[in-house]
Amino acid sequence: MITLIINILILLFAPFLMIGVIKKTKAFWAGRKGVSIFQPMWDFVRLMKKDAVISDTTSWVFRFAPVITFASIIFAALFVPLVSGRSVINIPFAFVIFSYVLGFGKFFSLIAALDTGSSFEGMGASREACFSTIVEPAFFIALASICAVTQNYTFESFRMILKSAGAYGYLIIALAAVTLFIMLLIEGCRVPVDDPTTHLELTMIHEVMILDNSGVDLGLITWGAAIKMLLFEALIANLIIPASLHGWAALAAFLAVIFVLAVIIGTVESSMARFRMTHVFEFIFIMSITALIILALVTYRIYGG
Amino acid sequence: MKIYFLSLGILLLGALLSTVVKEHWKFKVCSVFSFVSALMMLVPSLMVLFSGNVLSKTVYMSPLLGDVNFVIDPLSAFFVIVISIMSFLGTVYANGYMKPYLDKGMNISSHCFFLMMLIASMLMVVTVQNALFFLIVWEIMSLSSFFLVIFEGEKKEVISAGIKYLVYMHLSVIFIIAAFVLLNIQSNSLDFGVFASVMQNNPMLINIVFTLAFIGFGIKAGFVPFHNWLPDAHPAAPTHVSGIMSGVMIKTGIYGILRVLMFVGIPTRFISYMVLIIAVVSALYGVLYAITQHDIKRLLAYHSIENIGIIGIGIAVGMLGLSYGNPVVAALGFAGGILHVLNHSIFKELLFFAAGAAYLKSHTRNIEELGGLIKPMPYTALMFIVGSVAICGLPPFNGFISEFLIYSGMIQGVPSSEINLFLTLIFAIAGLAMVGTMAILCFTKASGIMFLGNPRSEHAAEVKGDVGKVMLIPMGILAFLTFFIGVFPQYFIIGVLRPVSEFVTVQGDFMIFNSIIEFTSIISWYFLMFLIITLILFAVRAVMNRKFERHTTWGCGYDRPNNHMQYTASSYANLFISTLKPLFKRVSHIKKPKELFPKEAYYELEIQDIEEAYIVKPLINWDEKFLTKFERIQSGNIQQYILIGLVFLILAIIGMIYFGG
Repeated sequence: MITLIINILILLFAPFLMIGVIKKTKAFWAGRKGVSIFQPMWDFVRLMKKDAVISDTTSWVFRFAPVITFASIIFAALFVPLVSGRSVINIPFAFVIFSYVLGFGKFFSLIAALDTGSSFEGMGASREACFSTIVEPAFFIALASICAVTQNYTFESFRMILKSAGAYGYLIIALAAVTLFIMLLIEGCRVPVDDPTTHLELTMIHEVMILDNSGVDLGLITWGAAIKMLLFEALIANLIIPASLHGWAALAAFLAVIFVLAVIIGTVESSMARFRMTHVFEFIFIMSITALIILALVTYRIYGG
Repeated sequence: MKIYFLSLGILLLGALLSTVVKEHWKFKVCSVFSFVSALMMLVPSLMVLFSGNVLSKTVYMSPLLGDVNFVIDPLSAFFVIVISIMSFLGTVYANGYMKPYLDKGMNISSHCFFLMMLIASMLMVVTVQNALFFLIVWEIMSLSSFFLVIFEGEKKEVISAGIKYLVYMHLSVIFIIAAFVLLNIQSNSLDFGVFASVMQNNPMLINIVFTLAFIGFGIKAGFVPFHNWLPDAHPAAPTHVSGIMSGVMIKTGIYGILRVLMFVGIPTRFISYMVLIIAVVSALYGVLYAITQHDIKRLLAYHSIENIGIIGIGIAVGMLGLSYGNPVVAALGFAGGILHVLNHSIFKELLFFAAGAAYLKSHTRNIEELGGLIKPMPYTALMFIVGSVAICGLPPFNGFISEFLIYSGMIQGVPSSEINLFLTLIFAIAGLAMVGTMAILCFTKASGIMFLGNPRSEHAAEVKGDVGKVMLIPMGILAFLTFFIGVFPQYFIIGVLRPVSEFVTVQGDFMIFNSIIEFTSIISWYFLMFLIITLILFAVRAVMNRKFERHTTWGCGYDRPNNHMQYTASSYANLFISTLKPLFKRVSHIKKPKELFPKEAYYELEIQDIEEAYIVKPLINWDEKFLTKFERIQSGNIQQYILIGLVFLILAIIGMIYFGG
């Protein structure tokens, strides 16, 4: 029960802190003092108090979409294991439901962007939809391979890789972590795929889709996006935290992984610029390649030698 | 069984009656008669599905046909339910859709007659168990749908699409006849029950007959590379006909494949892998080309190919499960595939009906010219969005359930002892995942560009008001069904598992089925939870509702946006299409600006089907070249033709005597 409550608290509040840490890291590398790591939370509170401006062009789709997208992220979060590998709902084939539920949210955020009749938002929607066509197959290949090698179809399989794959397990874990980290950068729209702080609409992906959202809606969208990033970080954390840790040690390890990942994201953002749109695909294909290497390793582990 | 024949009789009576009553009564007659027959059909078929007993009746037709068995087994019962309900909704929708044509004074007698004939023949196709009679009703089905397609026969493209359809259907029949003839030679009978006995444990015969039948039925169903008629025939036909054809009629091809599979018993690995590979290719190919289409009905037709592919993946996973002796995988695969037959017929009809409503009001099928229809047509737009979410396979709608069953079958099959199976299944999983995301791309395009934003042309701007109730109610029923099956799948799974049990006949199948039902009811609880979470968030959002003011869409500081500045369907799809350049044949039509003061210029990108461009067209060219060699014997002299015919006949007789033994 305590684990459950801690998990829910982490799910709801850690995303803000994670974004805060990313911002702090970027400030550190830029030689600035930077804002407090709690600033994203205050930003959210401020957005919640604001009035909104809504475009004349829009219909109910635009007004409902932020809530539907947020609900889908929260529901998808129930399937993801957080601290000590516990998820609220633990069923076989959870990763299929996880990514399809996120897809449901994405569908509505895409048509909400088209609802504004703006050329910029259509552009962002087109990019986001296009990227996920390459991301999802790689994700499914990686996850199905892990399921195959551990003979377990739930997300718990992440914690059983070492036991069932032996020495290959370390390699599989490392590659799976890279795959999920790239997916995190794409789904979270971070550098080098997208630059959340850019000021030029033409180069944006996710930010440009929500140009017309304001007030409470914008707050929900940013919160939802941060939670989505946390979900992928939680998956990575479950990969690399040893299954033997329990209780407070597991909690500490989990938070440490989240913190380190946030620092890494901040460092990546400080050290490189976003790719040109044509090069983004090459970056995404890295994910397909790592997924295929996982598949090759798993195949060799099961059938080779 | 009496009810079944009575219900068929009612359909035929309706067909005759609709030709004699007044014009404005015709579709009403059709709807009433198909409603009564659908209700009556439900009685025996539901009975079969719940009890598992098989109803059958043998009728002595003629010395040629001999005894014809009419059998409603669980598989037939399932298809009978799908056909009768979906066709009935189509005839109701036709009442509203055909009104403008009626007002123009078009004659619809033959249309109504063939509509009823199509329903009756489809119902017979799935129940007849005699090869020759099956071919006869199959032909009636193809011909009546041909006449329905060419309803607007005065248009050139409609006639050419209709003829293409007719040619493809007859290619299909040739392969089916070949398969049946082979079986007939082996078994000396025309009865399906006897076929099964000669097929089992004869792998060579299984491979040949199944491949022939798969090509034949696959042309009807629209598997790639036999799909070419679909994207032409659907846009040509009136919308209710496209809905019935795409939602129901192409499923008779799936029925045929399943029926032949039933003769087979345990499928060989060769045919299982063949079906899986063709199905995955169909699914990917269908959705890939759907993304490139801007004619909404053509887009939906390509999506039928995709969904047939998904159904095929389900069946193939079932076949692989059977041939590798893994009943759990087999049950999940067949259950997913057969459930997707029902699901696809629901959301595909819904999408066709909504698209038809938009066409009726805006008079254009080109989505580039639409936009903003959600304001004058709120209900149609809602229906289209519901259908889009369902066809993308997103929870909590029905498309997800069947795809999820197929996924779980594949993932369960993955830790197998055979490396071939392992790798094939992993890539099939990746393929299905890619199909899902591409469907999202395609349907955000379709619903976003058609219904959202601002009108992109006068066609869309002039739309006033939504369509009438007679069109909205069938759509509403279908939309409700997509949602209901999505949230309460367990009740429908029970109905689907009965036909599945005809394929998966092992000890302990009962337990497998129970665990599937249990698992889906757990998922049903989670989806209810999802609904509750969403509703709570909506409630919280409503409480937190702040003031808002209206303004134009943000245009980066530019305050006078116009409708041509919106993103178009081409530009929405372009990033994706340009990433996958080699898979398309792109033909640009450019008129460059010329002279000092250029007057007009345009650029148009047309994307052609590579299968048509690189396989069908070269074949036809070769065929033409070959046949023109015979031009010299074409003298125009009838006597000479009769002579040639006679010579050929004599040669054939000599050949038969010499080789036939």
